[in-house]
Amino acid sequence: MAKLLIIDDDAHLRESLAEVLELEGFECAQAGAAHAGIEAAKKLDPDVVIMDIQLPDSSGFQICQTLRKRSRDTILIMMTGRFLSSEEKKQGFELGADEYITKPFDLAELSARIKQLLSRK
Amino acid sequence: MPVRRGKLFSKILVWFLLVSLAPMGVVGYHLIGISQMSLRKEILAMQEAEAAGFADTVYKYVTTFRQVLAETAAIEEFASMDARTQQQYLNRIMQVHLAILELSVLNPQGIEQMRTGRFLGPSPEMRNFETAPIFTEAMRRGYAVGKLERFQGLYPTAAIAAAIVDQKAQPAKTVGVLMARVSLNGLTSMLGMEFPAAGKSSAAVVDKRSGFLIAHSNMKEVFKPDARLPEDILKVITTQTESKGGGDMPLGDGRRILGAYADVRDLDWIVYVQQPVEYAYQTAVEMKAQILWVLVWVVFFTVLLSWAVAGHITQPIRVLREAAARLGRGQFEDLPEVTTTNDEIGDLAQTFLAMSESLKEKTGELIGAKQELERFTKFLEKRVEARTRELKAAQDELIKKERLAAIGQMASVVGHEIRNPLAVINNSIYFIKTKLGGVPGGTDPKIDKHVKIIESEIRQANGIINEILTYSRTRELKPERVLLSAWMEEILSVYPFPPHVALDKRLDAANPAVDIDTTEMQQAVRNLINNALEVMPVKGTLSVQARLNDDRRTASILVGDTGPGIPPDVVDKIFSPFFTTKARGTGLGLAVVRKVMDRHGGAVEVQSEPGRGTVFKLTLPVAAAAPAAPGGGPNA
Repeated sequence: MAKLLIIDDDAHLRESLAEVLELEGFECAQAGAAHAGIEAAKKLDPDVVIMDIQLPDSSGFQICQTLRKRSRDTILIMMTGRFLSSEEKKQGFELGADEYITKPFDLAELSARIKQLLSRK
Repeated sequence: MPVRRGKLFSKILVWFLLVSLAPMGVVGYHLIGISQMSLRKEILAMQEAEAAGFADTVYKYVTTFRQVLAETAAIEEFASMDARTQQQYLNRIMQVHLAILELSVLNPQGIEQMRTGRFLGPSPEMRNFETAPIFTEAMRRGYAVGKLERFQGLYPTAAIAAAIVDQKAQPAKTVGVLMARVSLNGLTSMLGMEFPAAGKSSAAVVDKRSGFLIAHSNMKEVFKPDARLPEDILKVITTQTESKGGGDMPLGDGRRILGAYADVRDLDWIVYVQQPVEYAYQTAVEMKAQILWVLVWVVFFTVLLSWAVAGHITQPIRVLREAAARLGRGQFEDLPEVTTTNDEIGDLAQTFLAMSESLKEKTGELIGAKQELERFTKFLEKRVEARTRELKAAQDELIKKERLAAIGQMASVVGHEIRNPLAVINNSIYFIKTKLGGVPGGTDPKIDKHVKIIESEIRQANGIINEILTYSRTRELKPERVLLSAWMEEILSVYPFPPHVALDKRLDAANPAVDIDTTEMQQAVRNLINNALEVMPVKGTLSVQARLNDDRRTASILVGDTGPGIPPDVVDKIFSPFFTTKARGTGLGLAVVRKVMDRHGGAVEVQSEPGRGTVFKLTLPVAAAAPAAPGGGPNA
């Protein structure tokens, strides 16, 4: 079973997303901040990390960079509530991001996308 | 124009009058004085001559009777005549000389020997004259004039005596005195004739020692017992030492008289002539009046002359002053004729003419400069006004932009913050739907329906947020060159028009090339079409135009509808963000249109007729050069 780590400072958001994705058959862990997220990733070694770009202690891109250095295989999905400029997206991809999703999510589509990305592994 | 005479005129007039009239006044004053003095002297001399003349008459009058007596007494036989013959002689004398009232013969002892008279009885009283001055004087000197008396208390008489000399005795011997009382009424008659009552002069003869009034020109004054001249006059004339004289004399009653006197020779009598000063000096007064009258005329003519001279001297100066005053008011034309004479005033006039010419020239230059300055000032004012308008417009624009930026920033923050809860709701409803969907035997169809409602609303909310974020997003413009008509055709061809709306499509064959960001421009055009379709829910015509404008530098896209139109009171606000008349809408559609047009250097205009419809016109600059590549669709 694929392991997911969701990093977001909004507890409702990460819980609801985790529980929806558990329904889809994923095993979900959660973290409320960047630091805690990186620690959890080190411990759990998840297949997929879904992280908010804006976090209280650091930026999602920072986590992205750290985790990508650790593992080439981990699928890194960035969440955002605002429009990202092409420049920002480009920067994110260069730091190792695999996908961007905008709140609110089409969950069926997200689930399918994750599964598709996992199947490539 | 009335002649205004100035101070110079007055000064000249005053000085001229002073110079000419002052000496004349002095001379006139002295002339009057001298003439008055000499006239008065003359008048006094005449009066003195009158007095002296009458004094002579009086002397002759008295002398006549003395001679009669002397001749009678000198008759050879008179001393030796008997009394009867003497009586006859004396009677004859009295018959000849009516003024002789009484004749007496006195013996050497002064005793009256014979006495005969007109009013005496047959045997009158014989008197003793032994100590009487008349007797002693006649005995000593041969004749005498004696005591004055009033006969019958009224008529003045004088006693005149002559010595009777015995011619036969050797030597001749005085043997008695022939004495006569002579009436002096004749003198009064003569005075009355010489100084008639109608005249102003009067005259009198007075005894110097006693003040006895002997004769008077007015007989009423003399024929009375106590006839005398007024005492103040008597006091003056009886104390004179000169044989004749005269002068002004004040009387006790305040009148002034001019009096003259003359002594009568051999007698202590005085002739006195008087007249009131005002009559005496009448000639002098008349002369004074005449001189004064002449002086008045002289002064009058001098003033006239001075006036004329002063006017003549100051006239050119007045003209100059008038001309200068006009110059001062800036009138260079119609200056008064300035006459140039060959004196200092003429020089002044020449200088003035030169000055006025120069002034005219300089003023002309100044006026020119002033006009130039005014033109320049107006120009500057216009520039400043235009610049101020530009600045104001720029400022308004800036404020608007800042406001829009602020709105955008806020919208961005709000949108972002709403997306999180929206995402949570979305997740939760997905969870619920999946959970319920997983229950075998189906769910309550109503729950299913409400889940769908929630999902729909989430989508709608997300749509609104997307719209707001799109509007507020600062995205880089990516222009590409398209042919406007062809590009529009492409948009219209994929637009899902509802069947109840007719499409009136007029796309210009000129097909102008424009440089546009097709994504944004498509959004703008779609917003306009969406709005047009929304106001025609039942029936209507959508007109779409693309054309090259007459100026050939701009191209326009027009989107028109046949809807109800926009109320005039809101037409100004429709491009403002968040302004909407719809029940559901962000009010960003037209704001986006305007933002897009602004970003393209174009403009959006609206023309709306309530009840008939609205036309939006998007105007864009035509691309400068020929299109590099034929335009395609937004995704081309």
